[in-house]
Amino acid sequence: MFSYILRRIWSMIPSLLLASIIVFSFIHLIPGDPAQIMLGDQATPEQVQGLREAMGLDRPLYVQYGRWLSGVVKGDFGTSIFFHQPVLHVILDRAETSVLIAVFSMLLIILVGVPIGILSAVRYNSRIDQLFSGLSMLFASVPTFWLGLNLMLLFSVMLRWLPTSGFPSILESGDWSNLRYLVLPCITLAAPNSALIIRLTRSSMLDVAKADYVKTARAKGLSEGAVNIRHIFRNSLISVVSALGFTFVALMAGTVVTETVFSLPGIGRLVVESVLRRDYPTIQGIILIIAFLYMVINLLVDLSFALLDPRIRYS
Amino acid sequence: MNRTRTILLWSLCFLVIAAGAAFAAEKGGVLRVAVIDEPPTLDQHVVTSDLTTMIAQHIFEGLYTFDSKYSPVPLLVKSEEMKDDGKTAVLSLREGVKFHNGKEMDAGDVLASLERWGKFGARGPVLFSNLEKVEATGKFEVTLTFKAPFAPWKNLLAFMNGGPVIYPKDVASGAEKTPITPEQYIGTGPYKFAERNPGRYIKLVRNEDYAARTEAADGYAGRREALFDEIRFIPVPDVGTRVNGVKAGDYDYAEQILGDLFDSLKEDPSVVTTVNQGANQGLMFFNSREGVLKDNFKLRQALQAAVNMEPVLQSAIGPAELWKASGSFMPESTLWYSKAGLDRFSANNPELTKNLAKEAGYNGEKITLMASTSYKFHYDSTLVIVKQLQAAGFNIDHQIYDWATLISKRGDPTQWDIFFTHHGFVPDPILFTFMSESYPGWWITETKRALAAEFAGTLDEAKRREVWDRIQALVYEEVPVMKTGDHFTYDIYSPKVHGLSESSLIWPKFWGVSFGK
Repeated sequence: MFSYILRRIWSMIPSLLLASIIVFSFIHLIPGDPAQIMLGDQATPEQVQGLREAMGLDRPLYVQYGRWLSGVVKGDFGTSIFFHQPVLHVILDRAETSVLIAVFSMLLIILVGVPIGILSAVRYNSRIDQLFSGLSMLFASVPTFWLGLNLMLLFSVMLRWLPTSGFPSILESGDWSNLRYLVLPCITLAAPNSALIIRLTRSSMLDVAKADYVKTARAKGLSEGAVNIRHIFRNSLISVVSALGFTFVALMAGTVVTETVFSLPGIGRLVVESVLRRDYPTIQGIILIIAFLYMVINLLVDLSFALLDPRIRYS
Repeated sequence: MNRTRTILLWSLCFLVIAAGAAFAAEKGGVLRVAVIDEPPTLDQHVVTSDLTTMIAQHIFEGLYTFDSKYSPVPLLVKSEEMKDDGKTAVLSLREGVKFHNGKEMDAGDVLASLERWGKFGARGPVLFSNLEKVEATGKFEVTLTFKAPFAPWKNLLAFMNGGPVIYPKDVASGAEKTPITPEQYIGTGPYKFAERNPGRYIKLVRNEDYAARTEAADGYAGRREALFDEIRFIPVPDVGTRVNGVKAGDYDYAEQILGDLFDSLKEDPSVVTTVNQGANQGLMFFNSREGVLKDNFKLRQALQAAVNMEPVLQSAIGPAELWKASGSFMPESTLWYSKAGLDRFSANNPELTKNLAKEAGYNGEKITLMASTSYKFHYDSTLVIVKQLQAAGFNIDHQIYDWATLISKRGDPTQWDIFFTHHGFVPDPILFTFMSESYPGWWITETKRALAAEFAGTLDEAKRREVWDRIQALVYEEVPVMKTGDHFTYDIYSPKVHGLSESSLIWPKFWGVSFGK
């Protein structure tokens, strides 16, 4: 098991290197110049060229990549062109919001999605199954910006229970009541994702329910509850856990619409804004970290399979 | 008699105390301003972003500023004296004006700031190419010597956007091409820079040692008073969130709201709307260096004659109160307003278009028109314009990019024939980008050069206006650029904010503004 983990970690290095080369080439292939964006529409060509030189953007691409990579190896991701701060500092600053959003949304997704999925599978084709199937289809198809704005209208503008937008840092202020800023964004994110988990739990359980060992379990006189939880649910968990793993990373970095609607300083918005600003070091830094995160979560998900299914062994 | 006097005296005391209490109640609080994005820097010398100026004008000040009639008036300057038939300007600076680091501003700071701006600033070279020298001729005196009389100098010194704000000497003399850093945001303004928290806010705090002018406030001029303890500029990219935030009381002011919401928000008692009078103008630049439009003035006139700007503005901006199909490059509220050449604006004349295209020898060659989706009204405007041009028989290739790609592509004259952009208000026509020979479009003709030189060298105001009339007429004849019209952004704020009017000049300002009682 230990040597398996080491092998997996070792294999991450070429993957990360490849990801960084692809991102570096792609972002430099797109037309656009951070110096021009920073100086604005009315800057003269001489001004733009001057700033390009000052920022080292006039050097050949392989030189720029080499300098960036040698910095990364030493833990220096470069300096953000837009924020004039170390990239790692900018990313860590946004990570607080993204991690909290991802954790709380995941809790909601698991607490809502999994039990309802089980209920729908157990009561297959009943009224309650049809009701939850309908609702989950609805929430899976509602655009997040629409849901977010309507939740904001109801709970912030009309009822005034929760703030509309923003998120003051808890790490800086130590004020845990700031979590109220994340209630609406987490509901907005959890709604479509819970719907998917409901559908997935339900369908996986229904698949497993047809297996021979379930019939055997019933034949040997186990109670319906024990069959459902110990045999059907546990064996259908593999696909659900895989989906939850990827949902978690997507919630960390791919929630740009929700972050924009609620004006949250998160990683997703930072990626999109950095691309629009052509803030090369920030884009490269974030993509590398997200790629790393995907690989780690993937590894954790794979390891969890061994816990869920005793037949799976890593060596 | 004595009793009456005592009562009067007591009443007076009471009034003074009451007035003091009322004033004290007005001072204080944190103003939360929802802005559309984060500015890349607050260095006013090098960037022309309106968002930067809106924030930075509270921190930094220039030698001159504009009053409510857009006339340049002294700000850090006390008085001026013109010599040598307008070739020399001797500027006496105000004494006792302190920077936020406690140091008193003097001629050394002004000289270093002007030199940095002249060399590396966005609009500095326009002034400095006409200057022979600038020198400190006393502790509080700076002298500008021009190569020849140069009329727009005061307008250029007064315009904050990409303009010559005054930094301390040690900041300005060490700064070059790259923008100054937040630790160097030291100005003389009524608010001080306190903190930039990326993605969250930019915080300014009241400058308790501010040396205000004594004249009554008028536009950006006169007395400036910081009444809030703190102003926070918070990036809120989604317009719906900015509106909801003000309604819910999470923000006190929100900028740049959608035209479609104007009518409903005007009637909404929970917010107040304020229209920005510094008009923006949609502009289509024609390529004078390469391609099918190069030197072909007839073809450009044909394109100009084919378009009707009213539906363009209606579709891109919305309510009629927020746009004006006006062809004058300077708005009606300024002394530069001109009707020269306007018979060619928004002509919507198919017959004329056909004849001009025939005279131009146009045979259906492809005309590439670039626009950006980063600004919604750019894209919306060009959608209508392209339809109109196609209906008039032109072969238009409508290319859509994000803004960063567009401004990169437009630098290469082989890539495009027309591109769409917009410019904000400028106080002097010399600052229009089409007057510059290096701005993409590259309008360089002998007639233009001669008129531009005459315009810069004429000191008499009436004569300058007459030369500007001729330049505008030439723009409609050679068509280096086609204007869609004037349009006005609008902002909203909470009714508890006092001191803001129904309209703002160019950028909203928050000195003299408070939460009231």
